Amino acid sequence: MTDGQRSPTNDGQIVVSGLTKQYKNVRAVNNLSFTVAPGRVTGFLGPNGAGKTTTLRMLLNLVTPTAGTATISGQRYADLATPLRQVGAVLEASSAHKGRTGINHLRVICAAAGLPKQRADEALALVGLTPAAKRKFKGYSLGMKQRLGIAAAMLGDPRVLILDEPANGLDPEGIRWMRGFLKNLAHEGRTVLVSSHLLSEMQLLADDVVIIAAGQLVRQGPVDQVLGSMAQGARVRVRTPQAEVLAAALKAQSATIETDEQGVLLVGGVDAPTIGRSALAAGVELHELTTERPDLERVFLELTAGKAGIR
Amino acid sequence: MNLVRSELLKIRTTSTWWWLALGAFLSIALAFAINAWLAVTTLGGDAEEIGVSAEQATAPAQAANLYTSGQYLGLMFVMLIGILMVTNEFFHQTATTTFLTTPRRTSVIVSKLVAASLLGFMFWLATTLIDLAAGAIFLSANDYGTQLGEWPVQRALLFNLLAYAIWTILGVGIGTLITNQLGAVITAAVLYLIGTQVVGLLFLLLSNVLDSQAVLKWQVIWPAVASQVMITEGTSEFTPSWWVGALVLIGYALVSGIAGVLLTRRRDIA
Repeated sequence: MTDGQRSPTNDGQIVVSGLTKQYKNVRAVNNLSFTVAPGRVTGFLGPNGAGKTTTLRMLLNLVTPTAGTATISGQRYADLATPLRQVGAVLEASSAHKGRTGINHLRVICAAAGLPKQRADEALALVGLTPAAKRKFKGYSLGMKQRLGIAAAMLGDPRVLILDEPANGLDPEGIRWMRGFLKNLAHEGRTVLVSSHLLSEMQLLADDVVIIAAGQLVRQGPVDQVLGSMAQGARVRVRTPQAEVLAAALKAQSATIETDEQGVLLVGGVDAPTIGRSALAAGVELHELTTERPDLERVFLELTAGKAGIR
Repeated sequence: MNLVRSELLKIRTTSTWWWLALGAFLSIALAFAINAWLAVTTLGGDAEEIGVSAEQATAPAQAANLYTSGQYLGLMFVMLIGILMVTNEFFHQTATTTFLTTPRRTSVIVSKLVAASLLGFMFWLATTLIDLAAGAIFLSANDYGTQLGEWPVQRALLFNLLAYAIWTILGVGIGTLITNQLGAVITAAVLYLIGTQVVGLLFLLLSNVLDSQAVLKWQVIWPAVASQVMITEGTSEFTPSWWVGALVLIGYALVSGIAGVLLTRRRDIA
């Protein structure tokens, strides 16, 4: 601890600290720090090209960082004694030899990791792929490939799961299955880190979010909190037959007011209860009083505005 | 040990090795036919006519040649298997899974080298068993005896084993240098098949320019020539001793193995 090294624990926590990757002309990841807690699904969000995949690959020792560290349960991935028993990763859908059967793909991994052969059968059963066990990989649909990838990640029954865009190319049924599967894993106390650019999906799946853009951290925290922090600036939608009267009363409390359509005010700067009280005091009839809830999609677009796109 | 088992399983669970084994078998059949004709002709007293030296025109020398039939193309096939062991990982994007399973990349490459040499051994064993059976029958039928008691014959067989192991290892090294599957396979095959002739020509040219026959011996620096020198009995003006060839080949195997490990350790897997 004195020399800054973390002692190895098995808490399943992921700690990314000052992580940087400089390619020839592009700083793909720039001084990125965040933590991922066990027992929760953490969504790793960012527009395409934000550096999500590079970050995950540095975390897994596939890409060497220019600076910074990334640890899982207090250890670098390369220092884990039995990596597959501690971390399962699903990185790209097409990562098996096309001429090899699904079951043999898993057996090759079992052999290398020193896991018993029957783990391959168990993992296939876990993802519902047993009927296709002896079919060659090139005959698999995208959804089946994704499931095989998850089976491979589950071989060592790991504490930590890391998935890069697992929803890519899945049909709605597949996405629903994946969502249930990952939530269940987190419920069992495992750490689940899922990268995605599909925000609507994350809103249904994630407990926490880490949002990055242009290789830098934009926001990190529980989904509700990130949404809530944006809700503070949210406006309240008020429908009333006496719009002018209410507007005058609210302006006296330094609220900002816009009119959307006839009889509808979009009020900023004050919250819904304050508007309700003002209306009561002024004797104004209210037909609607709603705080506009920002969805993750809008928050995300606002947070990453101007930083997305090609760099 | 687990890793070597995994590497062998990788080879066994795809059909590539099967096609290369078939290719090796066909080349044995073809080479055996040619060598059989050569043996009959030279031992029948017509050695001079087809340019075979007296040293080479003995029964043991011809037997050794016969018992190593198919080596020329066989070595290329085991080299291709070695190459594919590495390039497949990049072509099919399994390198990610492999290095996730074993983050210690040196171990991965070393296990590939060990698995490659084991595979080279298997190919040698199969080739030699076929050659021994066919060769013994052929030689006995032509009243030369099997010649298996002769040291030059035994030596040729043993060094052929070394050649198979080294060429597979060399393939792994080439695969780590050129990770593009098609690029690596074509480069290696062309260098092996045509490169030897080109090198031969270059040295012939060089010996003319320098007016020295001794220069020709230096062809041994080319791996395919070294391999041939290693299993050939006796020396001539053009060929150095067998051990020179052996050293050159081992040198290549060491260099490509070490280069493979160093390159793979540093490479970003994207």
